[in-house]
Amino acid sequence: METPETLFIQYFNEESRPLAFYQKNMAGYTAVKKALTLSPDDIISEMKKSNMRGRGGAGFPTGMKWGFIPKQSPKAKYLVCNADESEPGTFKDRDIMRYTPHLLIEGMVIGGFAIGAHHGYIYIRGEYTREAKLLDQAIQEAYDAGYLGKNIQGSGFDFDLTVHRGAGAYICGEETGLLNSLEGKRGEPRVKPPFPAQAGAFGGPTIVNNVETLAAVPYIINRGGEWFSGLGKLEKSGGTRLFCVSGHVKKPGVYELGAGSVTLRQLIYDHCHGILGDKKLKAVIPGGSSAPVLTADEIDVIADIEPLMKIGTMLGSAAILVVSEDYCVVKLLQRITRFYAHESCGQCTPCREGCKWMEDIIERIEHGHGREEDLAMLLDISNNISGRTLCALGDAAAGPVMSFVKKFRADFEAHIRGGKCPNV
Amino acid sequence: MGKKLLSEKFYSAMTTLESRYPSKVALLLPALHAAQDEFGWLSPEILEEVGDFIGIHPAQVREVASFYTMYNLKPVGKYHLKVCTNVACCLRGSEELVQHCEKKFGIQVGETTRDKKFTLVEEECLGACGTAPAMMLNDDYHENLTVSKLDQLLDHLE
Amino acid sequence: MPKCIIDGREAEFTPGQNLIEVAKNAGIDIPLFCYHPGLSVVAQCRMCAVEVEKMPKLQTACSTMATEGMVVKTKSPKTAENQKSVMEFLLANHPLDCPICDKSGECDLQDNSYKYGSAYSRYTEERRTYLDLDMGPVIKKNMNRCIHCTRCIRFGSEVAGIHEMVALKRGNNTEITTIDGKPLETDYAGNYADICPTGSLTIKDFRFKKRVWFLTKVPTVCEGCSKGCNMEVHQDNNQIYRCIPRENMEINRHWLCDEGRFNFHYVEREDRLLDPARSKSGGLEVCDWGTSIDLAKATLDGKQIAFLIGSDLTQEEGAAILQFRSQHYPGAPVYHFGTPGVVSSADDAPEDRILKRKSKTSNLHGLEKLGIPGFTKLPKEITALLVIRGGRATLPLEIDGVEKVGLGVFMKDQAMMFSVILPGLSFAEKDGTILNYEGREQKLKRALQPLGQSKPVSEILMMWVNRKKAHGAA
Repeated sequence: METPETLFIQYFNEESRPLAFYQKNMAGYTAVKKALTLSPDDIISEMKKSNMRGRGGAGFPTGMKWGFIPKQSPKAKYLVCNADESEPGTFKDRDIMRYTPHLLIEGMVIGGFAIGAHHGYIYIRGEYTREAKLLDQAIQEAYDAGYLGKNIQGSGFDFDLTVHRGAGAYICGEETGLLNSLEGKRGEPRVKPPFPAQAGAFGGPTIVNNVETLAAVPYIINRGGEWFSGLGKLEKSGGTRLFCVSGHVKKPGVYELGAGSVTLRQLIYDHCHGILGDKKLKAVIPGGSSAPVLTADEIDVIADIEPLMKIGTMLGSAAILVVSEDYCVVKLLQRITRFYAHESCGQCTPCREGCKWMEDIIERIEHGHGREEDLAMLLDISNNISGRTLCALGDAAAGPVMSFVKKFRADFEAHIRGGKCPNV
Repeated sequence: MGKKLLSEKFYSAMTTLESRYPSKVALLLPALHAAQDEFGWLSPEILEEVGDFIGIHPAQVREVASFYTMYNLKPVGKYHLKVCTNVACCLRGSEELVQHCEKKFGIQVGETTRDKKFTLVEEECLGACGTAPAMMLNDDYHENLTVSKLDQLLDHLE
Repeated sequence: MPKCIIDGREAEFTPGQNLIEVAKNAGIDIPLFCYHPGLSVVAQCRMCAVEVEKMPKLQTACSTMATEGMVVKTKSPKTAENQKSVMEFLLANHPLDCPICDKSGECDLQDNSYKYGSAYSRYTEERRTYLDLDMGPVIKKNMNRCIHCTRCIRFGSEVAGIHEMVALKRGNNTEITTIDGKPLETDYAGNYADICPTGSLTIKDFRFKKRVWFLTKVPTVCEGCSKGCNMEVHQDNNQIYRCIPRENMEINRHWLCDEGRFNFHYVEREDRLLDPARSKSGGLEVCDWGTSIDLAKATLDGKQIAFLIGSDLTQEEGAAILQFRSQHYPGAPVYHFGTPGVVSSADDAPEDRILKRKSKTSNLHGLEKLGIPGFTKLPKEITALLVIRGGRATLPLEIDGVEKVGLGVFMKDQAMMFSVILPGLSFAEKDGTILNYEGREQKLKRALQPLGQSKPVSEILMMWVNRKKAHGAA
């Protein structure tokens, strides 16, 4: 087996963090020097060539997104890094920020230059207190070395970077909820249009990118979009991917593999050494807890955007939750639904009312108080939420309910008919 | 206006931070964090002082603060245990940790021990799923927990 | 004008108009809750979602601008399915206490349920409940009825200019409230109830007083200041139950201040003098009209008299008084009065950034247009006054030491300063024209039959003239 090239994972340790290490071993801040000699259009075109697709969950092509920013704007433009990392099952961005913060910082300077922003914000989830401090330290190092601030490396380009901490709200991972939170408001998603590229942070044109997306930018600039694209094995999906595998596997953790180069089965059984206690696999959630669930016989699928979409689920943030046969799927769905009800911002009707309603029904079922009509009603409620909410949280809550009830109907029926959870 | 409750340090930190944002309201989240660092929680008086500093109605401060789970609008114990019980941690036995804490402290989730030493809450995903089960003890993460590791940790707390 | 197609009908629009407004102009009602033309668009309730050709998902009509050739379906099966579902979600936690809810009969939730909802509820989980909250003198809140449309929050921050109504917590637990149940601070609080699409925020003054469907609604103009806000008086059986704003985009848009809204109470105050009377040894003695007029005349007879007339009178009343003056008291000066410190239109200015103006009467500018100067102080030679007003103008303090006849609406304690009182009409009991601060002519509409023995100014003056003639003949 050839050793695939990786960009991040070999640096995921404490030694990689300082600026000195970054410059010595990771070609640190050479990309920004190169980028500052290029035109913003050249950088955006390199990003387009790279086939980088946003690593936050939506998978939108990054170069295209950058291209949406108006060239001229009466209002200041902003580059915002979404470091809210809150989709359950996702834990890769934390590693990038604590081990290779300079990759992110350099990526943001380049991104800022490409879109014409002079201020960037890293919106980091509030719980990552330590990571926020580490980022602050790294940012200070970058200021001291002239990679941030006024007239970066004598280029005439100014760029400031500020870490902004969230305070415990999943919905702030939604980009417009994030922007409201950055502005000191409740993290409630905004009505779109206008999209952030037109009117985002503080009313200015804004690009919001995930940590992993921005941290790959120095590599793309240094080694070229085509090279990056070639790391992926599918036509429209470039680079490597950080897969977060958790749950009932023997070796949970972050795995970096070429995009589209691996199936779920390979990830679970080869890379993660299989299921804990060599039990049978029951279910896999392939893209963070909002992704529709897969059964054990659906895992021979390439873990990337299009292949997973084709079978009715999604790659999302590439967070793979693995569930073995002895865990109750009803209980699992109850936990997932409780999460989305808890995190619903409450603005829009279907999400505010529907998520809690689903949670209540599933809780009843799990506790043996389910009724025959509950399953049809669950499907109906999730259908009434899906596609009709102000932001994607409604879909995130509805998808798991639909898929669990459809794919594990027998488990639900056993709860209802038996009047208790069979596992208890 | 009465005497200020927040420290000089708070005000000077906020003044420094002010230049980082094009609008003063954007200081609200950082200000609430900094205020909570000083008192452990955010009393109505503190919220009002933060509002005065930023120049917004106290109701607006409360509206924002109450949206986020990390702002304590009630006093919490000296040690605030936030045990993740989201999917990955659940799969890895976090419920056992919660039950253990409840028994050990004689309190339910959401409560504080009578001596004000421990507050126990269930937390949503902490982003430490690869090292589940995980919890936060005040600002620090503790991962790959087991009941005995948890006991070791808790028994060493003053 | 560009056109789009709504439900197969061509609909013209001006660029920037949303589908709700465009449809409305074409005679098509799109059901809604959170949208309000006077507030920002939040697209939260999802009720107004419609099908737009080439869009895979339903689009909220409030946040979708019409474009040339856009094809919109507001009654398709997909749209109807969403409407039914939104109604189900909104009613899941609603107490359905319409029989004892003051909003009943004019409730968007009730009306939309009737049109778009289902007769059956599938919801069997426990409902979330809250305690009622008293929010100061104007508003009482029943959070159980709230559908989280956030109109009140937006009204506070966007119109009233105070962020006092807020959403606390989030998700299903969101509570719309003031913090710690503090009283509302704005003096526009009544609007919170007007725009509430359910009975969550109700006006304390109106609670449990009347079912709305018994009310007769009379479109008129507020007399509370020189702004001339349009409003409706709601009465039944010759009693006013409330006043609410009437939309006029050029004046008050959708709003009314509390002062104007509750101004009507004086009309029906128990101590309003509704009979002709005279002061006698520290009290009032009711007389018949003939005697009162004779007494009034006698009071002014042989004196150097002046007219003080309230700027709460209409143009018609002002003109009648001027004519009366020239025919029967030629040369007697006429002054208007109404608000301490506001002598002329030059003193009138906005009192806040919303609606209120400094002149606390409705027709200062009209009387000025009739050539009547503002009152500052009595000329020395004046020995008697005929004071005429509605019920709003504040009596000047500088009129002691002369004999006075009062014509108009007076409370009993005010009446004591006059030798004779001839009861006149309030704004609610008469028709007439008033001119607001910008000279805009508007009509007062009579909502009530005159209370007690009170009569219109013109009729009283006519009686006065007729009795004078009778005297002259004698």
